Amino acid sequence: MDLMQATYARWLDIATRIGFAVSLVAFLLYVSGAIEPLVPLEQLPQLWNLPASRFVALTGEPTGWGWLALLAKSDFLNLGAVALFGVVTLVCYARIVPLLFAAGERPQAYIALAQVVVLAAAAAGFFTGGR
Amino acid sequence: MEAAATIPWWVWPIALATVGFLIGVVAVLAGIGGGVLFVPIVGSFFPFHLDFVRGAGLLFALAGTLAAGPQLLRSGMASLRLVMPLGLAGSICSVAGAIVGLGMNADLLQALLGVLVIAIAFVIWLTRSAEVGIVDPDALARMLKLEGRFTDPAAGTRIDWKTHRTLAGFAAFGAIGFLGGVFGLGAGFANVPALNLLMAAPLKVAVGSSALIISIINSSAAWVYIHRGAVLPLLVVPSILGVMLGSRLGARLLETVPAKQVRWLVIVVMLVAGFRALLRGTGLWI
Repeated sequence: MDLMQATYARWLDIATRIGFAVSLVAFLLYVSGAIEPLVPLEQLPQLWNLPASRFVALTGEPTGWGWLALLAKSDFLNLGAVALFGVVTLVCYARIVPLLFAAGERPQAYIALAQVVVLAAAAAGFFTGGR
Repeated sequence: MEAAATIPWWVWPIALATVGFLIGVVAVLAGIGGGVLFVPIVGSFFPFHLDFVRGAGLLFALAGTLAAGPQLLRSGMASLRLVMPLGLAGSICSVAGAIVGLGMNADLLQALLGVLVIAIAFVIWLTRSAEVGIVDPDALARMLKLEGRFTDPAAGTRIDWKTHRTLAGFAAFGAIGFLGGVFGLGAGFANVPALNLLMAAPLKVAVGSSALIISIINSSAAWVYIHRGAVLPLLVVPSILGVMLGSRLGARLLETVPAKQVRWLVIVVMLVAGFRALLRGTGLWI
């Protein structure tokens, strides 16, 4: 296994374990009622059969990055934990870009860099008007 | 579905975690990405709107393949060198697919999902793997060094492999990424034949690399669903905790378990879930 693949595997392993642990803790806080959610759990069965746009309109949930301001609410703390999984690949790619340049593997390095840009743009909401 | 609203909320996370765990084991063994099982099963038999199911499906497949990734990379079953250019094509198209999917009518989407899942079941049934040996790589494959060496512990053999038809591979993974974004699927059903039959990667490398490609493609599309409010943590978190545990077990079993029996199980489950989605989408069985 070459250095690039070994490094990616190591970072992927660590990041995924962190994501798993954070998700588990956040979920236990959510379902135990230890932290209050924005939308009470008991109300969800009446709402989760609605389209996302209607759900957002009825509950007043923010879209884009607006949920960051609500991390003190347990449902958005969980959304934050879920969002961690969305950045794992970005972090792993960002780690191997310098390794590829250092190894003189320029085509692969530029591909990895392009992937970092695409993932960062998606996370930033560039394609969906996120804020 | 009215009866489902009377069931206490806490029943659903337990059911989702159980389904997630079982899908996690089976999906890695079959190389299909959990979303292709999760979305039709949960979309057809659980009370959630398809928007939330598709958002959860993408994150579900993402978490499962992220969890399996380290083991697959260390064993050499996944090749990052092979995955990187194909994942880039797929992830760009998956964002477009996710935007299109969130703008579509839910019933139409459910019916199309049913048709797609039934079609995928037949594709999996009819697809035969190919161990094609060393092929002559094209210029692009040579430039990107799409080659490697894989030791198969089950067969006790060491395989040097190269790939070809790189441009066709880019096109295939662009289309796969788009469909994955629209329907919230992992799309591993198409990754494995594209890598194995089209590009001539060895079957086990195709299965392992397929999982890693899903983790890259779905990372982009998942953000579209997150930003549009189509991610419901109570649905997503138990599902992904279940699939992550199941996928780690599946990745460990992958080197030793014969894939044939798993494949038949997947085909039957997909046919049942696909017909249910079709009937629900067309209004014949709500």
